[in-house]
Amino acid sequence: MGTFILRRILILIPMLVAISFLIYLGLELTPGDAVSHMIPPDVANTLSAEDLEALREQLGLNQPFLLRFWIWLTNVLQGNFGHSLEAGVAIKDIFLDRLPATLELSGFAILFSTIIGCFLGTISALRRGSATDNSLTVVGMLGVSIPEFFFGLVALSFFALHLEWLPVGGRLMPGYDSFWDRAPHLVLPVLVLSLMMTAGVMRYSRAAMLDALSREYIRTARAKGLPGWRVNLLHGLRTALTPVVVLIGFRLPALIGGSVIIELVFQWPGLGNEFIAAVRGQDYPLVMMIALFSVLAMLLASLIIDVLTALIDPRVRLE
Amino acid sequence: MSDIALEVDDIKTYIYSNRRCNKAIDGVSFSIRRGKTLCIVGESGCGKSITASSIMQLLPALSRIEGGSITYHSDAGEIRIDKLPRNGARMRAIRGSEIAMIFQDPMTALNPVYTVGFQIAENLKYHTKMTARAIRDRCVALLRHMGIPLPEQRVREYPHSLSGGMRQRAMIAMAMACNPKILIADEPTTALDVTIQAQIFELMNRLKAEHGTAILLITHDMGVVAELADDVAVMYMGKIVEAGTVDDILRRPRHPYTRALLSSIPVLGRGKNQSIRPIRGSTPDPYNRPPGCQFAPRCDFATEACQRMPDETFVAPTHRVLCWNHDRVAASG
Ligand SMILES: Nc1ncnc2c1ncn2[C@@H]1O[C@H](COP(=O)(O)OP(=O)(O)O)[C@@H](O)[C@H]1O
Ligand SMILES: [Mg+2]
Repeated sequence: MGTFILRRILILIPMLVAISFLIYLGLELTPGDAVSHMIPPDVANTLSAEDLEALREQLGLNQPFLLRFWIWLTNVLQGNFGHSLEAGVAIKDIFLDRLPATLELSGFAILFSTIIGCFLGTISALRRGSATDNSLTVVGMLGVSIPEFFFGLVALSFFALHLEWLPVGGRLMPGYDSFWDRAPHLVLPVLVLSLMMTAGVMRYSRAAMLDALSREYIRTARAKGLPGWRVNLLHGLRTALTPVVVLIGFRLPALIGGSVIIELVFQWPGLGNEFIAAVRGQDYPLVMMIALFSVLAMLLASLIIDVLTALIDPRVRLE
Repeated sequence: MSDIALEVDDIKTYIYSNRRCNKAIDGVSFSIRRGKTLCIVGESGCGKSITASSIMQLLPALSRIEGGSITYHSDAGEIRIDKLPRNGARMRAIRGSEIAMIFQDPMTALNPVYTVGFQIAENLKYHTKMTARAIRDRCVALLRHMGIPLPEQRVREYPHSLSGGMRQRAMIAMAMACNPKILIADEPTTALDVTIQAQIFELMNRLKAEHGTAILLITHDMGVVAELADDVAVMYMGKIVEAGTVDDILRRPRHPYTRALLSSIPVLGRGKNQSIRPIRGSTPDPYNRPPGCQFAPRCDFATEACQRMPDETFVAPTHRVLCWNHDRVAASG
């Protein structure tokens, strides 16, 4: 298992280099002076043309392309992501500010949708053809087909505007920054995001469970005289988990990168909102770094998927 | 105590689908003797597996035992299996412990995500009061007993790292874990190659001799019957058309279908020049059955009388046949 994980990580390295190369290429091709995002813009404004040229030399911006890439890469690896053009602050600080909000929202959504989705999908499969199964199937279909912004707006107007139970949006009020202060703000976006994801997980786990239950080893387990719960959960659900893990894993990057629409609807100060703002403001360095971050999240997610499926299914470990 | 382990009397199991009824088993009777092998033989689709599933109460969802009785002669007295709730505690206590079953394809019959040891241990955990340590030792001992080399190692391995033959041995180890009175084997070697097949049969014969296990062996292969059976029941379209001891069936077949089956395979010892004839025609659609004798449309001996279902005739105390023309069949040599 250890060597399996190590090998998967080693495979990632060339991919990471290639992707960061493409991102850097993008950065170089964007309009504007490269030096402007290497240093805070307000500092840049006070410098004379000669000083700027000296700085360019000092930062290695006059070096050949590959060397520039190398300098940029070592900077990124040390946590120096450059500066945002719009806000003039270090991109690293923007990440430190926005990422926790996004992780909080997605973390809860993944947790709830996985638990509830697997539970409902399993029930649905075990009661195949029953009224429970049919109504869950209809609800699931609605869940995956209603766009999330619509659902978000409905929830917002009902719970926040009409009933006034919950805040309309945002995350922190000045001076209130414990988790319990933010909890009311968290409820609606987590609810909407989880519900959309639950529908998918449910449909997927139902199908996977039905497939698992039709396998011959289920009959073997029943022929051993095992009780129903053990046959269904230990032999059925356990093998049905692999495809479900893959589905959830593939959603991870989108969620870590910020669920753009939900964050927009609920004014959630996460990476997704930041991304929209950066694109609008043509803040290329920031857009590129968020893109790089999303790609990283994607690779990380695929690593997690591989490790989890290997843990669940011993056959995967062999390859 | 009688020498009968299980008695099936006029059992009828119907499968329903799309508002249609498939009379998959339509009045089947046989008994399995202690320490003996009963072979049920017949072409694919004739109801062999459904017979086994009826005994185990592991039938498909939309099916039901509509009549007849299945009586298991346990040490504690007779148990009417057909009267037990399908997934009730009493039925589960019998499954895997008193009556165990192995299946056709050991590749798919073992759960790929659990070790061989785990899957054998499950059986012991639910049917005995053994400690975890004793269970572990017993798993290793069982694998060794089934002729699996390096059992201490194999017990910790996953099914995919075992060969087909080894997996079937592991399946048998699992089935034999609680020393069942009856072992049902549904085409246990169809998926294996011939040399492995012989080894598995040898193992089954040894278990029968050592433990007095009664074996219900399901097969479509008359060659297997000749090798293993004490008693034989020949099945066609949900009915037993002929039953008797292995000698009765192989030496004095009285049903045209039995004879057709026998002449469709080469028999060891009959020399090179035996004529091998496949049975003409094909099995009828179970939803559109011929009236009367089910085999009549394919039968060389068919007469007007075959439009009605024949009665069961005992041609010897152990030998019964379901055919109007069994005398003519016997006379034809
Ligand atoms: N799970 C099932 N669902 C519906 N029909 C079935 C099922 N299993 C078997 N049957 C039907 O029951 C009849 C007997 O099948 P089976 O006992 O499996 O035959 P075999 O002798 O090859 O084992 C066949 O007509 C088959 O189509
Ligand atoms: Mg079968």
